[in-house]
Amino acid sequence: MDMYSFLSVWVRESPSLWAFPFILICHTVGMGFLVGTNVAMDLRILGFAPRVPLSLFQKFFPVMQLAFCVNAVSGILLLIAYPTKALTNPLFYIKLCLIAFALTQTRWIRDQVLRNPAVDVKPVLGKGRVLAGTSLAVWAGAVTAGRLLAYTYTHLMSGE
Amino acid sequence: MSPFEVWLRSTSLSHLMHSRWAWPAAESLHFCGLSLLLGTVGLFDLRLMGFAKQIPLPALHRLIPWGIFGYFINVMTGICFFTAEPDQYLYNPSFQIKMVFMTLAGTNVLLFYLTMFRRVRSRGPGEDAPLPARIMGGASLVFWIGVLTCGRLLTFFRPPYHWCPWC
Repeated sequence: MDMYSFLSVWVRESPSLWAFPFILICHTVGMGFLVGTNVAMDLRILGFAPRVPLSLFQKFFPVMQLAFCVNAVSGILLLIAYPTKALTNPLFYIKLCLIAFALTQTRWIRDQVLRNPAVDVKPVLGKGRVLAGTSLAVWAGAVTAGRLLAYTYTHLMSGE
Repeated sequence: MSPFEVWLRSTSLSHLMHSRWAWPAAESLHFCGLSLLLGTVGLFDLRLMGFAKQIPLPALHRLIPWGIFGYFINVMTGICFFTAEPDQYLYNPSFQIKMVFMTLAGTNVLLFYLTMFRRVRSRGPGEDAPLPARIMGGASLVFWIGVLTCGRLLTFFRPPYHWCPWC
């Protein structure tokens, strides 16, 4: 059996809690930190906790990066376990697009808001606030799309 | 089934939860709430432990109400799940341990505000939190991740399919 099939069968069928359940837990904890840190940053841009210097919010980027890596790896493993289940569901592609868009916005926010030399001198207005608002909405959409995958699939395995 | 479970199942909330989209919608909200909690309380815990020290603790603490909001969403949606399928939770070892973790997390919060908050509130940028507060920050992260872990494990320990040493 090749490596791919072995992994697929192991993640899906192993009775060990370290297989499917552990990967799922990693994916959820990673989601909480990735989305949560972004949400905290967006709320700060929208005017909450005004005495947190926005430039310093970059200190939390390693949290996001680590959480993203955890979720990329665990996500790929979950995909390998049930490829047909995900790939035949249009919502899966919507989820990926939403994540890609949300991450692009995180980058924009970092480059245009957090790294703006005037960021800690005056409150963020206009474009920065729009970015933060859409970021909140897109992350909520990504979380919802991910959660709904469990309820909307049509084929669990190929041939079914 | 106990009379309590029979009553819960007879409520309109329980019926509503069994409609086509109520459960998935509540699940989505539950995950958004979880993110809100980890993103505010979790970051504050990290700062207590000494991460991103330049950020003043009292300033970061102003995000905590959003974490409480997330917690509130999750208690509400959690009650919805429980009301819909009480036996799936009552006799589930993962749910029972989740409640233990929630109690631990709650006690930790209480302890923090009773003993450490006043000292933490006066700390400026670059200053360390007192050692007990740093430990409470670490404990908070461990407990909330424990809550999440048990929450995700619920499906794998559903009664009556799974043997549980004490149920």
